[in-house]
Amino acid sequence: MADEETKSWFSERIDEYADPLYGYSFQLTRNRTDAEDLVADAVSKAWSGVESLKDRRKFRSWIFRILHNCYVSNYRKKSVRPVEVSQNVAFDEITDDLTNFLTEQSDEFLAWWGTPEREFANKVLGEDILEAIEGLPDEFKGAVVLVTVEGLSYNEAAEVLEISSGTVHSRMKRGRMLLQKALWIHATEAGLITETPPKEMHNEQ
Amino acid sequence: MSNKDDKTEAEEIDCIEAINGLYQYLDGEMDDAETKQRFEHHLAHCKTCYTRTEMEKLLTQRARDAGNKKASQALRERLQRVLD
Ligand SMILES: [Zn+2]
Repeated sequence: MADEETKSWFSERIDEYADPLYGYSFQLTRNRTDAEDLVADAVSKAWSGVESLKDRRKFRSWIFRILHNCYVSNYRKKSVRPVEVSQNVAFDEITDDLTNFLTEQSDEFLAWWGTPEREFANKVLGEDILEAIEGLPDEFKGAVVLVTVEGLSYNEAAEVLEISSGTVHSRMKRGRMLLQKALWIHATEAGLITETPPKEMHNEQ
Repeated sequence: MSNKDDKTEAEEIDCIEAINGLYQYLDGEMDDAETKQRFEHHLAHCKTCYTRTEMEKLLTQRARDAGNKKASQALRERLQRVLD
């Protein structure tokens, strides 16, 4: 049994982190009821294992890790979304370079990607970005949500996902590129991109 | 004195290298001062990479704002009951 000091400390931390925990949970489940249940499960697990947290400064990554693991073992199965087959390679073994990714992409995407428009970001809604993140393969989704949405450092995200921070970096690169692609598809369908830049004759920037 | 310029030239990175470092830079994870300097030097001279960086910055901010959810009072109370 935890003592009173631990109890009041834990209680304060839960109050402090309720919003980000719910935010992460919502991003994983995209459903309010599931998100609340997931946070409650995680907090309950964390509380019963509070003695295992040796370094209180690591509370954030510790409780995010518990929540993440709860999601993986209990919630992900419920998802009706078909498992996305991304690429049939072990990602972490892929060379730490985007060149391979780029060579696999369509000319239309590359033409758009090669001529970035800052205004594009203004046309895309925050919710559209979150939805696109939601559709990323799980390996990338975790890293992108933790770092891009929740603002964790690579080291903290590495602790949550139980991978190296170098792996977080490669997942961020590939995940954010896949996100760009998802946004491009969304924007094309929504008519936010009306014209693909000509690509046959002119190859200059 | 032109020596210094030559050195800068030799240290220039290309767009692929810049794109590879982009997220590390945006996420505040580019710890090595020299790497960061080379990256910023590239941005100052390459409109494409500069615009891409600005765009990614905006997308990140927008995602962060949208993802900034509030836990309901009911959830907060439920969480505190876990401790009883
Ligand atoms: Zn460039």
